[in-house]
Amino acid sequence: MNAFSAGSGGPLSLPAISRRALLRGSLAGAGLLALSACRSAADPSPGADAVSGGAASPRRGGVLTVGVGVDFTPALLFAQSANSLLQRLVFNTLTRYDAQLQPQPELAKSWEVAADGLSVTLKLREDVTFHSGRRFTADDVVFAVKNLQNPVRSAQLRSTALTVADFRKNGDFELTLVLAHPVSNLFDLFEFMIIPDSQSVEDAVAGTRLVGTGPFTFTDRKPGSSLSFARNEKYWNPGRPYLDGVEIKVIPQAETLLSSVRTGQTQLTYAVRGKDVATLKDDERFRITQYDTGAGAFYIGANLSFPEVQDKRVRQAIAWAIDRDRLVQQALGGYATVSSVPWPKSSPAYREQDATRYHHDPEKAKALLREAGVTSLSLPLAHSSDAGSTAVAQILQYDLKQVGIEVQLQPVDSPTMQKQLISQSMPALWTLSHSFSQAHPATLAVSAYPFNEAKNTSKFSSPAYTAAVQKAWNRSDADSPEAKALYQQVTDLLLDEQFIIDLAIAGLVEVAGAQVRGVTLNKYSYLNLDDAYLAG
Amino acid sequence: MRTFLFKRLPSGLAVLLAASFTVFLMLRLIPGDPATTLAGPDASPATVAAIRERLGLDAPLLSQYLHWLGQVLTGDLGPSYAIGGQVSELIGDGLAATFQLTLAALLLVVLLAVPTALYAVSARRRALAGALRALTTGALAVPPFVTGVLLVLAFAVGLGLLPAGGHASLFDAPDLAVQYLALPALCLALPSAAILARYLQDGLERALGEDYVRTATALGVPRRRILWRHALPNALPSAVTVLGLQIGQLIAGAVVVERIFAWPGLGQLIEQGVSRRDYPVVQDLLLLVVAGYVAVQLLTDLLYSWLDPRVRWE
Repeated sequence: MNAFSAGSGGPLSLPAISRRALLRGSLAGAGLLALSACRSAADPSPGADAVSGGAASPRRGGVLTVGVGVDFTPALLFAQSANSLLQRLVFNTLTRYDAQLQPQPELAKSWEVAADGLSVTLKLREDVTFHSGRRFTADDVVFAVKNLQNPVRSAQLRSTALTVADFRKNGDFELTLVLAHPVSNLFDLFEFMIIPDSQSVEDAVAGTRLVGTGPFTFTDRKPGSSLSFARNEKYWNPGRPYLDGVEIKVIPQAETLLSSVRTGQTQLTYAVRGKDVATLKDDERFRITQYDTGAGAFYIGANLSFPEVQDKRVRQAIAWAIDRDRLVQQALGGYATVSSVPWPKSSPAYREQDATRYHHDPEKAKALLREAGVTSLSLPLAHSSDAGSTAVAQILQYDLKQVGIEVQLQPVDSPTMQKQLISQSMPALWTLSHSFSQAHPATLAVSAYPFNEAKNTSKFSSPAYTAAVQKAWNRSDADSPEAKALYQQVTDLLLDEQFIIDLAIAGLVEVAGAQVRGVTLNKYSYLNLDDAYLAG
Repeated sequence: MRTFLFKRLPSGLAVLLAASFTVFLMLRLIPGDPATTLAGPDASPATVAAIRERLGLDAPLLSQYLHWLGQVLTGDLGPSYAIGGQVSELIGDGLAATFQLTLAALLLVVLLAVPTALYAVSARRRALAGALRALTTGALAVPPFVTGVLLVLAFAVGLGLLPAGGHASLFDAPDLAVQYLALPALCLALPSAAILARYLQDGLERALGEDYVRTATALGVPRRRILWRHALPNALPSAVTVLGLQIGQLIAGAVVVERIFAWPGLGQLIEQGVSRRDYPVVQDLLLLVVAGYVAVQLLTDLLYSWLDPRVRWE
């Protein structure tokens, strides 16, 4: 039949387009696409061009692609934020901690802390220039400290920067910082404080120009999409960096980021969710590294202005009621450590018996509630409305119900949560994560608002806590037995008062392609790629 | 015509002014503010106060509103609070990216829908026509966030042909830009292509059932000629109307698709602006949308008045 079959009202059969024609068309389309695709955007290692070294030695060349879930916020350049990776690409710090939390030279070659702890003299490198070509001198350190003292920079270590009361220059490369009182976390400040170019700092916080002394120069930014960096050919560290450049890609959707990692288009990321990491860990194309800090410490906060949680036995009951192991496994994908204290294992304040003080014991929780005269309790719990935080909140709600505490979940978006946190207007309970316990303990108590002894979200105040925090902070030695005894006092008070009920400490999980080598992070999650390279 | 325009213009300006006030006020009513967002969770109230002062958020609301209105009128939209850069550049870049994506999707809608409809009506076997109809129903029913993930799994993870997400400039690297554009444009195009294909298929089937087709067949006109020269031109006008309506849907759908494929368009920009309480970005974007609608309304009124003089005399 080769004519239309004009049935009564039915469609006409019209074999006008042959399958061969369709195939021809498809092939032509594919050909056009292939012609247009001179380069492949799906190529996992653009520009890789290793030129030297054996199999085990570093290779020069190549552009490393880093995937992030959150775009860079220029105004938070001088604060630790959700995307602090780029700080150490463009900038340097004065010193950097090693694995034992001992400071090592960076822009400061050497230092000497006065016996009374009231000053520190820094000898600076003399061979450092900014990307603009200007020479780095002591004046730039003075500017960096004053920059952090400025409240609009939102620097969490501002209180430590404010202890620097005076600057005494001895030539261009020696500087003495005079302190108002000794502080035990001075090198936390040096680890945290990037040295910006004073002449372009306003451009930096506007996100248009980033000028530092670091291994890479900032070349381009497409807001919401990417940041590009090229090798600093005049970097002070000889022969470094090995990489030609770094491309940071912003991929907000977790599934897309995971796909990008699987295809090799993202070679390094810290933003893969815990449950997704499990699907990559047995694949030899990837290398998974877990850090013990960097992704925040999860906690329940209690607002003591609500009578229901003013009795510390009620707060302790909440601490006993939570099944932290289940929380870590089910909500955090297993990539966290259960803990009753804010300190990670690398902290000088860490003790195993403190970290395990509160564990899942519903009977003990019920007994404490009875002791406090509580027969029924109904409390609101605020949490961030993202999927991860909601999962945490739901587990907390279930656990608390088992001991007779009814919890109404109050999901709020992140800006609202921050406003409630800072303005002390949280409901009776909230759950969030905090940072700044990763270096010296005094930094947490003076820099993280939930723990601040003078004013905090919980409206908790206690002369004993204030005294312990101030004693731990106002001393020059950070690791002596006396300092550790003071940290223990702070820990004991936190464990007893439970205005912040710590649950688990999540470390950053690094997912890297097997060819990516030599990547490190500092204590504030600044990405250090001085020694990084792409193996052949 | 000019008199008519002068009559209509004040109402358009009044709508814009009312919209600007509403947008400004609504943003301030949302809990959270830019200063606390920029200060971060560890900030002290002193830090928040300093940032609020720097951003001018400590000024009375009316003064803030008038300042913004002044910026809009002078065309200097100022800097973004959180995203960084100048608002006008951010909106310009976002607009270009969304326009690129929408245009590519529109092209794909036509390229997918027309052959599908033609093939469906000309298929020898009813089963094939049924299968194509089922395919279009599927494309219509599955939401873009599911289609997007499936496309990424198939073309990026499975076949390794196309990137999972990202963006390249069409002017700087057209070869890469086409590849970055392919999956988001396809994801965005599929539902609209399905709608258009079904409209066109129905139109073609109706046209092929007409007497003139039967006459042409009886006269021995080749079937390909009947389809292309007679049936298709008769079915196209209604399909073009549907295509026009789909443009709005494509722009709205781009908001979701941009997030899936990390495409830096207006959807991503407004999401970033709202989540960081970047008032200037959100205010200017929303006002731009309202201005677009007002302009379209004015143009439509002008067109009506040109077509029908009675409207001018009312």
